[in-house]
Amino acid sequence: MTHDVASSAEPAADTPRRVLLIEDEANIATAIAFILQREGWRVSTHSDGATALEAVDRHAPDVVVLDVMLPGKSGFDILGAIRDGRRPDLPVLMLTAKGQTKDRERAEALGASRFMTKPFSNRDLVDAIDALATARASAGE
Amino acid sequence: MAKSGSTGSRIRERRLALGIRQAHLADQVGISASYLNLIEHDKRPIGGRLLGRLAESLSVDQSALSSEVSEGLLDALRGAGAAHDLDAEALGTAADLARRNPGWARVIVRQGETIEAQARTIEALADRLTHDPALAEAMHELLSTVSVVRSTASILAQTPEIDANWMGRFHANLDADSRRLADGAEAVVSYLDSAVAGGGDHLTPAEVVARFLDANQHSFDAVEEQGAAAIPDLVADLTDPRARRLATAILEADAQDAKRLPRDVVEAATGPDDLLAVAGGDAALVLRRLGVIDPARGLVVTDAAGALLRRKPVEGFPLPIVGAGCPLWPLYQALSQPGRAIVQTIEMPDGAQWVAHAVAAPSAVTRFDGVQTLRATMLLARAARPGVAFPVGPGCRVCPRKDCVARREPSVLPGAEQMEGAGSMTKVPQQAL
Repeated sequence: MTHDVASSAEPAADTPRRVLLIEDEANIATAIAFILQREGWRVSTHSDGATALEAVDRHAPDVVVLDVMLPGKSGFDILGAIRDGRRPDLPVLMLTAKGQTKDRERAEALGASRFMTKPFSNRDLVDAIDALATARASAGE
Repeated sequence: MAKSGSTGSRIRERRLALGIRQAHLADQVGISASYLNLIEHDKRPIGGRLLGRLAESLSVDQSALSSEVSEGLLDALRGAGAAHDLDAEALGTAADLARRNPGWARVIVRQGETIEAQARTIEALADRLTHDPALAEAMHELLSTVSVVRSTASILAQTPEIDANWMGRFHANLDADSRRLADGAEAVVSYLDSAVAGGGDHLTPAEVVARFLDANQHSFDAVEEQGAAAIPDLVADLTDPRARRLATAILEADAQDAKRLPRDVVEAATGPDDLLAVAGGDAALVLRRLGVIDPARGLVVTDAAGALLRRKPVEGFPLPIVGAGCPLWPLYQALSQPGRAIVQTIEMPDGAQWVAHAVAAPSAVTRFDGVQTLRATMLLARAARPGVAFPVGPGCRVCPRKDCVARREPSVLPGAEQMEGAGSMTKVPQQAL
């Protein structure tokens, strides 16, 4: 279910930060992974909601990009479990095609660090993930 | 035929001119001779379907029997004007307009109704977009695919040095996703087309049934005469099985009511008090029967959550199509005191006074630990004489009253602010509370 994406997209950073992309749409996962790798991220992808928490524990990412509609367990449930568990400070960017107010409110109530709706621009997504990682790094200093 | 006098006197004039006996005409239109006598002497208001039947039996256009300008037409004209920011002075000329140009007045009203219907269609589609799982899933699929196409196309456009393997992979993805996008778009368009082609298909089952009941003025001769056996034929035209089931349940309840309190008994009564004894003290039954049978009375039934389960409007007392009614209605007061029969004179924002009878009653139980529901029923009739009345409205969204303590949402009427003070709660007479 989880894959470390090959680095043929020529990473630009010396010390790659880690992002876990939990997304069941294979083609969107491929595109996002490619974009992030070019920006220097080390990307792991995971497509199953039911085992997503294990993937979070295993990869110890700096940022999680989390789709809402996943097989097995919804992104909201996964986010809730992350916040209730041992990673309350882990930056989580929620990604969904359902850009409804109630989804955004629910994500915020559960502790999402950021919420983006599909379709999005590649640049906006990269900037959002960068900002989350930078904010976390600053908080940890 | 002379266009003067009351509706009752015109019916009488026309009947006498044709040499038809009162009993014969009453029989033709399915009412008792005594009830027709009351109509002809203006002791019972008349309108809608019964007036249509009388006009048909008297071989005359319905408009020739009704008053010069019907209150319904006037109310609708004023509503259409208020919706387009007409000031109070201009609204005051509605009666003159309708009198001088009745055809144009009806055109204005029809256009207003069309606009309102279209607004409701949009609202219903928006609601469906939010709540219909099939459409939500289709839109999710569409947006997901758009997202892939956009991201992939951006990569190809903005990464000139991309290696051949990645380029081939993204080209293949783009090809597959563009096909998927086309299929998804087609599916959504097809879905929306079917909703439009289905006529009222975009309506909820409750809305379909409300339209069905309104079209029949909530009164079904066949149910009165044949009971529940007539129901399958009556609901046969409702294509949505959920709407059909809902309408059947309502008409079955009406049939039971009709059995307990027959139409001729109700028609002979002058008001709810006359019927309480024969109804065994069941005030809700009395109110439902009068509301269903008498075209001059309105009927509202709500559950404990305040949702309007049945709304039979009456000229001059518009009822909200969407949402709950005015929280100041005796209907809701009754909910807090189940079993207590309430009668109260209320005043609408236009100054018209109405007598409202209301009562709330729990459902029957089949076991002691069963769930009981509570329903309140309100019957509306124009007050015979003006007096002390409790100011209410038709429901916040369509109520022009300002500074109402019970307001829960702003009015959608553009002219609401021009009616300052008309409904200030400082005017509420304490004895009315």
